[in-house]
Amino acid sequence: MTKLRHVVRHEFLLTAANKAYVILTILGPFLIFAVTVLPSLLTRDPGAFAAGKPIAVYQAPETLRGTLSASFAAMDIDVEPVDDETTAKQSVLNGERVGLLTVGQGWPETGGAVWYSKSGSEVALYGTAQAALESSAREIKITESGLDPALVAKVLASPSFEVVKLEAGGGETKAGVESYFSVLMTAMVFVMIIYMTVLLYGQMIGRSVVTEKTSKTVEIMLSSVTSRELMFGKILGLGLAGILQYAIWIGMVFVLRAVVGPVFNIAMPSALSMANVAWLVVFFILAFFLYSSAYAAMGAASEDEQHLGQMAWPLLIFLIVPLVMIGTLTSNPDSGISVILSIFPMTSPIVMLIRILVSEPPAWQIVACLGLLAAAVAGMALLAAKIFRVGILMTGKRPGLKEVIRWVGVRG
Amino acid sequence: MVRVEKVHKSYSSVQAVADLSFQAKPGEIFGLIGPNGAGKSTTIRMIMNIIAPDSGRILFDGKPLTEADKSRIGYLPEERGLYKKAKLGEVLEYLAVIKGAAKPDARASIDAWLARFDLLEWKNRKVSELSKGMAQKAQFVGAIAHNPSVVFFDEPFSGLDPLAQDQLLKVMTELKGKGATILFSTHIMEHAEKICERILLMHKGREVLSGTMAEIKTRYGRNAVQLEFDGDAGFIKHLDFVASVSEYPRWVEVELKDGVDSDLLYAALAGCLSIRRFETVAPSLHKIFITQIGGFAAGSGDGDVGGIPPAGDVSINSPTVEANNDQA
Repeated sequence: MTKLRHVVRHEFLLTAANKAYVILTILGPFLIFAVTVLPSLLTRDPGAFAAGKPIAVYQAPETLRGTLSASFAAMDIDVEPVDDETTAKQSVLNGERVGLLTVGQGWPETGGAVWYSKSGSEVALYGTAQAALESSAREIKITESGLDPALVAKVLASPSFEVVKLEAGGGETKAGVESYFSVLMTAMVFVMIIYMTVLLYGQMIGRSVVTEKTSKTVEIMLSSVTSRELMFGKILGLGLAGILQYAIWIGMVFVLRAVVGPVFNIAMPSALSMANVAWLVVFFILAFFLYSSAYAAMGAASEDEQHLGQMAWPLLIFLIVPLVMIGTLTSNPDSGISVILSIFPMTSPIVMLIRILVSEPPAWQIVACLGLLAAAVAGMALLAAKIFRVGILMTGKRPGLKEVIRWVGVRG
Repeated sequence: MVRVEKVHKSYSSVQAVADLSFQAKPGEIFGLIGPNGAGKSTTIRMIMNIIAPDSGRILFDGKPLTEADKSRIGYLPEERGLYKKAKLGEVLEYLAVIKGAAKPDARASIDAWLARFDLLEWKNRKVSELSKGMAQKAQFVGAIAHNPSVVFFDEPFSGLDPLAQDQLLKVMTELKGKGATILFSTHIMEHAEKICERILLMHKGREVLSGTMAEIKTRYGRNAVQLEFDGDAGFIKHLDFVASVSEYPRWVEVELKDGVDSDLLYAALAGCLSIRRFETVAPSLHKIFITQIGGFAAGSGDGDVGGIPPAGDVSINSPTVEANNDQA
């Protein structure tokens, strides 16, 4: 056990001192922040695009100008009427104004409205302008046709509609497109995190084993420790580094949530709860051990890194399938295929995590998933140890699948 | 004391080691010699407990080898490798602690050895920055820093300059003096001849001959002459009492037929060559190696490998016909 501890410590330090690890650990939360919070930050405050610059309006009728001013005032953007279209366009090009809205003669009956800007991509701004144009045009038409504006407002008012999520405990929460989007976002982020880390650490272990072979260090290592100690030392060492990375990320996310959230007045996605984060960690750990054992075995059976890459593609497929199916899985979390994939150990860590996030899978399915996954981890570890023991000393030839299967039965 | 008893190891249909027995004693340098693919690496791996023999026993001080015994062994493999991206001092410390050494002891020992091999200033540099010769010496330090009682050196001199070779040789002699059991594996006979007290020559997984160096020389020798001279010595091999002639860059070794006195050769040479040295010697280990293994390679199936007749307790086993795959 002491020797195993030394190997674990060595591998952990080797990983933690790796530049890629340090960079990923530090940048990870910012990437998560960029994906989860930044979009809502930008859509909530499109005024950020304008940076205090005004919008020019050419030939807008009085009522439209009023509506526009009111709409843009909410974003702290001024609306300036201009007399010369050409100079106004020039001022947009110069960056003095963010955009120019020209309204044709006889609007809204005959003339059209055009939005001019430098990039044409400030959706939030011209979306606001468009909404103002629509409501103003409607108002003008209603007034012109002599209808009672109050009556029209009553006719056009949308009926109330709500989506409510029923919970097993009898609770009810408001859902809907927005909250579904938030859950989907969180699910995407979680899935990407698990996918990337499991793949990254798996490949790191595979490469580390291959390097041990190609650099001939393995002979010296095995003269001191058993092949099991070497393999599990590597897996546990990297696993510790992975868990440390997750701890740092989660810590930073909660700091962001507590500090950045209130400052910018943004709500974190509600799906980013403690319970869901705990599930993320549980599934990461299980997936990590499953895939790292498989990668360690493949590393031992490989001749070089290129060979490892060729051998490991079936593992990649299992990781990619849930990723490709994420749309189907989130919109239909309790379908037959979702249930099967969430119980089959190679795909279950990602698929069950998605299901837990977006729906409430029956307890027996979660138990079956965890039980099978734990059994698969144990089975894979035993199998990997056997392949590793023989494969790690094999050099000079690329073993076929038949040969590798034969190694499993080699005694002594 | 390391004792190998009737050890067999085969990989699928290939016999890597067959019926191998020997013992290496404390305070002695034991040479395991043989050509590439003879089964040396497999034997070493079995002694290291990296792989298990199919049958036979390996005893350490009379007890079967256990995992714990690994801490008492130092190992310098033929194919050198250290973690290239790590610092030299850290790698050596790691190797020592997984051999069970306490950290402070390991550090002190590593510093002392590195200083001795002029590598102390490289301690905090990455292994990848070391030259090939330095890496070799560093690996040697890695094999002995934990004070092992049994050390296995596999081709320790390959790639080293004479100065470094001498340094290593000196250290090996010191370790021997301190009572360590030293196993030494090589296919360069001059090295084996220089430092081994006892050798075992193996080929295709089997013992070809074994014994103390003196015994082997006695059994196989006494009837060869080493010559240094000026002139054309081409006629010597045609003399009817000469069995064979081995030519080296600066001298020739003349093997005389049984019962022939070296005086006869001297008389035949006198007047024809200007002789600078005339020395009756046992044949070099190199010569014995070539004759024995050469006989095997020629495929003489009856054990009569020609050249040097075996005598006394120096055994010559029948050659094997299996294909060899050492898995090295």
